[in-house]
Amino acid sequence: MSNTLRPYLNAVRQTLTAAMCLENFSSQVAERHNKPEVEVRASKEVLLNPVIISRNDKERVLIETSVNSLRLSIAIKQADEIERILAHKFTRFLTQRAESFVILRRKPIEGYDISFLITNAHTEQMYKHKLVDFIIQFMEEVDKEISEMKLSLNSRARIVSESYLSQFN
Amino acid sequence: MSDAPIVNEFNQGPISCHAFNGDRTELAICFNTNVLTIFRKSGASWTQTSTLAEHDKPITSVDWAPRSNRIVTCSQDRNAYVWTLDGATSHWKPTLVLLRINRAATFVRWSPEEDKFAVASGSRCISVCYFEEDNDWWVGKHIKKPIRSTVLSLDWHPNNVLLAAGCADMKARVFSAFIKGIDKKPAPSPWGEKLPFNTVCGEFSNGAGGWIHSVAFSPNGESLAFTGHDSTITVVSPGTGDIQSIRAPFLPYLSVIYLNESQIVAAGHDCAPHLFELKGQQWAFSGSMDAAVKKADVGITARDTFRLMDSRAQSATSADTKVHTHHQNTINSIRPFSGAPGNVEQFSTSAIDGKLIIWNAHSISRGLGNMHI
Repeated sequence: MSNTLRPYLNAVRQTLTAAMCLENFSSQVAERHNKPEVEVRASKEVLLNPVIISRNDKERVLIETSVNSLRLSIAIKQADEIERILAHKFTRFLTQRAESFVILRRKPIEGYDISFLITNAHTEQMYKHKLVDFIIQFMEEVDKEISEMKLSLNSRARIVSESYLSQFN
Repeated sequence: MSDAPIVNEFNQGPISCHAFNGDRTELAICFNTNVLTIFRKSGASWTQTSTLAEHDKPITSVDWAPRSNRIVTCSQDRNAYVWTLDGATSHWKPTLVLLRINRAATFVRWSPEEDKFAVASGSRCISVCYFEEDNDWWVGKHIKKPIRSTVLSLDWHPNNVLLAAGCADMKARVFSAFIKGIDKKPAPSPWGEKLPFNTVCGEFSNGAGGWIHSVAFSPNGESLAFTGHDSTITVVSPGTGDIQSIRAPFLPYLSVIYLNESQIVAAGHDCAPHLFELKGQQWAFSGSMDAAVKKADVGITARDTFRLMDSRAQSATSADTKVHTHHQNTINSIRPFSGAPGNVEQFSTSAIDGKLIIWNAHSISRGLGNMHI
């Protein structure tokens, strides 16, 4: 099961390192503007082909790059209803604090659970290889957190139901 | 004396562009802001002497003419200024240039004779500017066809007429920038014979496509080298009809210069200058000019290394933040520092980490050349 994790994360890491080659680029469409081209999508020639890396049909990553910005969207593994609710609450918690997070996008792209927007301003302030390390670590830990939350939810439910039903014995 | 590169840390922010004056005693740097800072060499370090503030948006490129001592800056606010030094007050006086572009200017270079300069812009044209005596201003003529996107970089041919441009429409082109009244008819070259203004002398693209980040003419003007976003360097020689594409297994290069007829140095997102050499008729990657500064790994056990490899697919230790090169972030500009144009001995690189490093060209290649099996 986890023998697909390493090549999956490896592929994401290599693609991200290549995609994070960003530079300052003024808008061609509006004078004096400097916008992330991957969001504006006005000039087709400065956008690169989007890449989807899938581990299976439930877990995948979409990387869209342009000359000055990159958008990374992650679809988190959600096996059942409980995991779907937990993932939704978790990503909502993060996206509501997107301003302090800096590289997080407030709304995920259609079909994905969470999206990051990294621009040339971010790569100027932060190390590129550490940004990539962070994203990979995030991808690995999101799954772990949701499993932990599910386990603690189930054990709490069991304790509560035991203590409730014990009064009928 | 010192083979090691000379590192100058300014700690004022990422460097977007830099230029030295003719005798390398003064340095003009822009730290990603609207202001150009001039430094003067004092001993081993640089002291700030003046700030040139006239632009309202970040300055994208600067060039310093070595003989006439004029600075030209261009910025994202669609303007360019030519700065001349007032000898009496030591004050740099700006003169507005009429570029007539309606998008950001991205790159500027003086021609070899320093009587005109070319400005690349996001309005899909190159503005070749010259000084008009009767009106006492700098005026620009546009090279428009067949450019379809932002022009990212320029380089002048030694004959002062031909201009190479690398563009975001994935093509590198050579134009004629012949201005009547300023230029004399150039000698015939492999690029063309009769060359009125805006003639396209050649249009080239990279192997897999990709924005052309940087172009450079060889010292004798016979060949053109350009780098693209697909991590290739292509060398074109129209005289022999030879086009060679070298695929480098590294991240894309943002800047390239010729050291001499058989050596090219390119640098970019890999944070280190890489050397390419001509062996016989083939160009090939020779090595990085940055002897990696490796720290001793402290406190990382073998168990941790394998654990990181298994859980996060990380092959290196995650504890160290620094990259093992002198520059810590993308290099965006290489300029020749010392040596004749055909035999560069030292070159300077500036990067987004705020450092300016001066490298020695020969020591490394000698060291590399000595490595044999």
